[in-house]
Amino acid sequence: METYQIYSLTSAVLFVIGLGGVFISRHFIKKIIATIIMGGGVFLSFVSFAERDALTFADPVPHALVITGIVVAVASAAFALALARRIYQLTGEESFTKDK
Amino acid sequence: MSVLIDIILAILAIYLAFQSLLAKRLTQTVFIFFAFGLALALAWVRLGAIDVAITEAAIAAGFMGVLFLDALRDFSPRTSNNQEKTEAAKDIFSKKNTKSLLLPRVALVLGLVLFLLISLEAIWNIPDGGGLTVSVETMLPESGVEHPVTAVLLNFRAYDTWLEIGVILLGLLAIFATGGIKLYLKPDVPAQDILLRQVILFFTPILFLFGAFLLYIGKSGPGGAFQAGVLWAAIGILLHLGGKPVFSMIPRWLGQLLLTLGLGFFLLLGFILMAGGATLFEYPPAYAGVLILIVETLAAISIAAALTAIFANLNQMQEKPNDIESTT
Amino acid sequence: MMIKEVITVILLVVGCFFFLAGTLGVLRFPDLFSRLHALTKADNLGLGFIAAAMALHIGSPWAALKIFSIWFFTLLASSTSCYLIARFQKEKDQPTDRKEVE
Repeated sequence: METYQIYSLTSAVLFVIGLGGVFISRHFIKKIIATIIMGGGVFLSFVSFAERDALTFADPVPHALVITGIVVAVASAAFALALARRIYQLTGEESFTKDK
Repeated sequence: MSVLIDIILAILAIYLAFQSLLAKRLTQTVFIFFAFGLALALAWVRLGAIDVAITEAAIAAGFMGVLFLDALRDFSPRTSNNQEKTEAAKDIFSKKNTKSLLLPRVALVLGLVLFLLISLEAIWNIPDGGGLTVSVETMLPESGVEHPVTAVLLNFRAYDTWLEIGVILLGLLAIFATGGIKLYLKPDVPAQDILLRQVILFFTPILFLFGAFLLYIGKSGPGGAFQAGVLWAAIGILLHLGGKPVFSMIPRWLGQLLLTLGLGFFLLLGFILMAGGATLFEYPPAYAGVLILIVETLAAISIAAALTAIFANLNQMQEKPNDIESTT
Repeated sequence: MMIKEVITVILLVVGCFFFLAGTLGVLRFPDLFSRLHALTKADNLGLGFIAAAMALHIGSPWAALKIFSIWFFTLLASSTSCYLIARFQKEKDQPTDRKEVE
C-alpha cells in the first residue's frame, strides 16, 4: 500500500465524519468544527494526489490550492463564529433547535 | 515500517476528528480540535507538503483554535450552569430522544455509510491524469523563484492569491457587519501580569524576525507570504492580549492602509502590467523575482493586519447584558 | 560513525521515555497543578533530549543552533503558559488572594 493511498482513503473518512457532525451535533461551535473537518478531508485528498503525481517534486498546483483553501476556510469559519456569537448574545440560543 | 507510521497517523486523525465531535464539553471539543489540526499537519509532512503543513499548523490549528477559545468565553458559562440538562439533549444519540427519532437516525447512519462507501470507491479508482508537475517544471526558470509552490502561488496562479487576500478582507467586513466595528475599542484588561508582559515583549521581535525569515526563504524553500502573515498576526494577537491593542494605538488611516495594502498593490501591479501589454499578473521574467518579493511582503503585512483585526473584533464582541437591550 | 549513531539512538530513546512519562502524568494525575507539572517538566526534558539527538544526527553547527533555539523558545512559551494557567486556577480557587503587581 502506497502512502498516498492511505491518506486518500483517510480523507474520505474524514469528510464523512465532518458531514455526519454537521447533521448530528447541535451546538454552533461543534457544527463549525465539523465543517472544518470536512474541509480537512477535501484538502487531504488533494495533497495525497499531488504526492501520487510527484516527479522531481510533488505536484505544486494542489499544494497552492490547498494553502489558498485553508486560508479561505479559516476566514469563513471566523465569520460563522461571529454569527454564532451574535446569535447567542441576542437570543441566548446555542443551537438552531431549542432544548426541551 | 514507514507505512506503519502513516497508518497510525491516519487512525489518529480519524479518532481525533470523531472525539472532537463527540466530546461532552465544549472545552474538550476545542482542545481535541487543536490536536486534530496538528495531526493533520504531521500527515502533510508525511505527504511532502511542508508549505501546507506550516500553514495548517499556524492558521487552521493555531489561529482558528485561538478564535474558538475566545468564543468559549461567551458560551461556556451557560453550559456549566445547567450542563447536565443541555448536554443530555445535545446529541441525537442520547437516550432522551430515542423513540421519536428512530427512523431519522437509521436513515442518517445508512446515508452516511453509503456516502462513505461511494466516496472510498471513487477515490480508490480515481484516474491518473498525470498532474501539472511537468508544466510547472518547464516554466519554473521563468517564474523568478526556485520553489515550485511559491511559483504557482505568486506567479502562475497569482490571480487566486490576489482574490484570497480579498476573501480575508471580505471575512473581516462580514464580521464587522455582524457584531459592529469593535476593532478600535480598548479591551478592559485587568492589571497585567509582569511576567506575561515581559514575555510578550521578548517574543515580539523574535516572531517578527522569524516571519521575515519565512517570507524570504519562500523564494527557495517552504515558506512564503501566508506563513509569514500568520506569524506576524501572532504578534498582533499577543499584543492585544497583553493589553496593547495595535489597532486602537495607531491612527485609523494607518490601520486601513495596512489592511488594504496587499490587495491594492497587487491590483495596481496587475494594471501596470496590463498597460504594458501583458496579461493580468504576467510578470516580465527579468524582474519577476523582485516583484514577487515586494508583492509577498505587502501581502504578508495585509494578511497579518486582517487576521489581527478579525481576532481583535471577535475578542471585543462580548457585551455587557445591558448593552444588548440598546442594540436590539 | 558507529558511536555517533548509538548515542543518537540512546538520546532519542531517553527523550521518548520522558515524553511517555509526561503523557502518563497528564492522564493519571488527579488535579490541574500536578498535571501541569508533569506536562511542562517531563515534556520539555524529553524535547531537549530529542533536540540533542537531532543536532547530533545532522552534525552541522548552524542546524544545531536552529534546533536548540526551537527548544529554547518552546521552553520559554510552555513555562509561561504553565504559569498563566496555574495562576488562573489559583485565583479561581481563592478569589480574594491578591492584586497582581503592576
